[in-house]
Amino acid sequence: MRNRRPFIWLALAALLAGLATAQANTTVTFWTAYSSDGPEVKQLETVIIPAFEKAHPDITVKHVAIPYNDLHQKLVTAVAGGQLPDLVRSDIIWVPELANLGVLAPLDTSMSDFKSLADSVFPGPLATNYWKGHYYGLPLDTNTRIWVYDPATLTKLGMSGPPKTFDELKSMAAAAKAKGVYLYAEGGTGGWNILPWIWSGGGSLTNDTYTKASGYLDGPKSVAAVQMLVDLYKADEMPNIIVNPNGGLGTYDGIFQGKYASTLDGPWMFAIFGGAHPDTKLEGSLIPAGPGGSISVVGGEDIVMTQQSKNKAAAEAFLRFLLSDEAQRAMAQAGQMPVLKSADSWLPSIHDYYATYLKQIATARPRTPTPKWPQIDQVLNTEIAKAFQGSETVQQALTNAAHQIDALLQ
Amino acid sequence: MLPTRSTHSSSSARKGGARTAGSPRPPSARRRREILHAYLFLLPGFALFALTILYPIVRAFQISLFHWAIVPGTASTFLGLQNYAHALHDPIFWRALANSGFYMAITVPSQIVLGLLAAVMLDARMPARAIFRTLYYLPVVTSWVVVSLVFRYLFITEGGLVNWILHDTLHLVPTNINWLGARWSAMVALGILGTWKGVGWSMVVFLAALQGVPKALHEAAAVDGARAWDRFVAVSLPAIRPVVAFVTVLLVIGGFNVFISVYLMTGGGPVDQTQVLLSYMYRQAFSFLDFGYGSAISFLLTLIVFVISLAQMRLFRRPAGAS
Amino acid sequence: MVVGDRNQRRALMALRLILLTAGVVVMLLPFAYMVSTSFKPNAMVLEIPVKFFPQHPTVANYVTAWTSNRFARYFLNSVVVAIGTTLAALLLSSMMAYAFARFRFPGRSILFGLILIALMVPTMMMLIPQFLLARDLHLLNSLWGLVAFYTGGNLGFNTFLLHSFFQDIPSELEEAMVVDGAGPWTRYWRLILPLARPALATAAIFTFLGAWDEFTWALTIINDPSKYTLPIAIALFQGQHSTSWGLVFAASVIAIAPVLVIFAIFQRQFVAGIAAGAVKA
Repeated sequence: MRNRRPFIWLALAALLAGLATAQANTTVTFWTAYSSDGPEVKQLETVIIPAFEKAHPDITVKHVAIPYNDLHQKLVTAVAGGQLPDLVRSDIIWVPELANLGVLAPLDTSMSDFKSLADSVFPGPLATNYWKGHYYGLPLDTNTRIWVYDPATLTKLGMSGPPKTFDELKSMAAAAKAKGVYLYAEGGTGGWNILPWIWSGGGSLTNDTYTKASGYLDGPKSVAAVQMLVDLYKADEMPNIIVNPNGGLGTYDGIFQGKYASTLDGPWMFAIFGGAHPDTKLEGSLIPAGPGGSISVVGGEDIVMTQQSKNKAAAEAFLRFLLSDEAQRAMAQAGQMPVLKSADSWLPSIHDYYATYLKQIATARPRTPTPKWPQIDQVLNTEIAKAFQGSETVQQALTNAAHQIDALLQ
Repeated sequence: MLPTRSTHSSSSARKGGARTAGSPRPPSARRRREILHAYLFLLPGFALFALTILYPIVRAFQISLFHWAIVPGTASTFLGLQNYAHALHDPIFWRALANSGFYMAITVPSQIVLGLLAAVMLDARMPARAIFRTLYYLPVVTSWVVVSLVFRYLFITEGGLVNWILHDTLHLVPTNINWLGARWSAMVALGILGTWKGVGWSMVVFLAALQGVPKALHEAAAVDGARAWDRFVAVSLPAIRPVVAFVTVLLVIGGFNVFISVYLMTGGGPVDQTQVLLSYMYRQAFSFLDFGYGSAISFLLTLIVFVISLAQMRLFRRPAGAS
Repeated sequence: MVVGDRNQRRALMALRLILLTAGVVVMLLPFAYMVSTSFKPNAMVLEIPVKFFPQHPTVANYVTAWTSNRFARYFLNSVVVAIGTTLAALLLSSMMAYAFARFRFPGRSILFGLILIALMVPTMMMLIPQFLLARDLHLLNSLWGLVAFYTGGNLGFNTFLLHSFFQDIPSELEEAMVVDGAGPWTRYWRLILPLARPALATAAIFTFLGAWDEFTWALTIINDPSKYTLPIAIALFQGQHSTSWGLVFAASVIAIAPVLVIFAIFQRQFVAGIAAGAVKA
């Protein structure tokens, strides 16, 4: 852009460039939000990266783990500063935003073997990389939320199993409350948290072409589904972390302490829990079904390469390796669901909880694919929280949210 | 930080210059040399200062007039004052301003009263005085990051120390308070942290001022039979009035500058309920890439700080500083 | 009457001590709780009833923080940045202060006025343009970027502080050196700086602590974990799903220990610095 660098900088840059080529070893920087409190970082850094570096002795992979809550802001700041790494494991909902900013390399034109890689993965997760005519990444892992519970707590409550329907959820939550336990804890009011209930209740966020939220998000079925949660919360049958993810007792700690019986979460929860509290055996089941069935939300991460990467060839090599059977199996051990079509056959044998996830993901839906998703999510968070706090009715809150989202979808 | 001495400070320099008149050179050449030396002493520091501080201040205003394009290759759009108009119609901006005001309403009076109280109690010959002073000052020197995380931990709803004391031990409240989950209770928690962290500072400043009050005044009042409290009101308080004003100004400015504790304790949440001006500015700039709007917010903040400091200085008259 | 007076005075003193001690308890409680938590195994961290003395104390958190989480590296980065900032800021600001205190030159009051005005501008207001500037200067993601902007940020206050101190140094001393033929550099280096040692110590301590604790700028420009300073390392050291408080506080104790040591040693300068015109918070 502006090249007013004094001569000394040029000289220094030349010197550094000279040093870098003299070393002949390329470094690929890879940002992720793999959690260090579970086995994910360990699996990547002690199994996958060493295996890759052994096969490619001229490439060093530098992994940077950033907490999920900070990663989006770090990415955006890095975009502004031109400081992006070579590869990013991006939440699927950020890919349109990053692609729209023009900072991602379109892999379908830059990678010669893109087509064969794309053919090896599930089409649903692959589609999350598509933005305005190009694929800007490849799926790395997929997931969804299921009902996760501690069977020991349910037994203590005299319950034989998890709720299978909305009605069972309501009656069991009241029964659990009578014994001082929250049946269901939820850690927020964003799309990830609330959409499974709206969809299972037969409602929706937008029309099928993602152009309009009014009439959908504030339609009667969506309202009824959110109303059910608000009623639970107002009856003190859900803990306050739904409006207060920061200060309350987190879902993990609450379930461990037996104060919460269940939550909705992805497969990593089993891996992290197994490491932190080996004596607590969690189990999973499908999300309680409402008028719309049992519909969860698709989550997952894509791997994207940045335009500014100076080591595209090396980055591609690592990207390819991450999609190999070997790497996908290794991360599946750590609770990351693979995206390879071929994984269907071996996945349930790695951990038995994957069977439920596979069943749930078959009907799960994606969040709205738009660069404005972070803002939409912010609107959902803000407005739905008002319904929980009681400053607005559910209908008011969802109508307000729908109007704001309409504007964002324009 | 107050420009009290700068106005009449050139006398010594002039004197120093006059003495060198014994040298044979003509005055103009000597002056030129003096000026050259002065600029040489100034140059490296002032260049860095101009580059990293003055230029950004001007640039902030410039950016605030644009829809600033961050990504290389895209053009910025000139908006005029539209970012400012946006702020004035943005409910979250007003909420952030109100939150900053609420924060100051907690932290400024409490730091003044408690700091003064501690200073008065320590302004006497007594055992362990230095130790007390040190311990009160401890939070001041501790990093904001650390104390913010500690307070977030203290205010956790289930299992946090504050609720354990209030609910489980003293039974003052019927249920655990959801401190960081609602706007006002979260702002109270932030205010408690601000007071706790800052009270040692105001105490030390007040203590220094009290020790500067001439003993003779006290003795005269004591001879008149004035009681300790009356002596304080009649003698000490008027004597340290300028310092109180000075501390107030700095506390108000400090209150507007609160950021790290909000960022780390509530993140401005739940859902923007506890945003203050700076946390909202940071979010607009570094989460939504709206650098123009972020700059407008911070420029408005600067204006407010300027107006308030000037008004307070006028109000309390010429504050003599604490020196 | 005299006896009654003495009794009253004693009662008053006792009341003072009680109140002051209560205040100290409030001041220290959060620290005590932090230290206690740092010795707790993770599962015991949010236990009710609260235990100030952990049942099964462990140093595992410290070991983990120092070894597997590279806190040694962050500690070193913080040391380098804080010392670099302190040296640069002291040298540059004392030179400026000397020029303002001892020379007359065109633009003097304007330049000094700019420094005073800039002191009133909130630091965070400059964050966005500073970020763009650092990008254009290729100072993002580098410790140099921290040192350069921390130094710039400290120049105003230090210049002001040292300027008032330099003015109080009698000019007769300098005039004597002038007679001996000493130029301004010699006078600055041999006379002014040694005489201003107390003020320099005060400025050094506050600059060092400011750089050691700085969070926002570092959070904004540093991406590479090998360049993290302690505050960002601690703040970014939270799990995605649950926070390991024991580990966070072990790291925090490591970060504040040097500050407390410095504070304990240089208390006098702290108090002097605050009394001499208070410090920009």
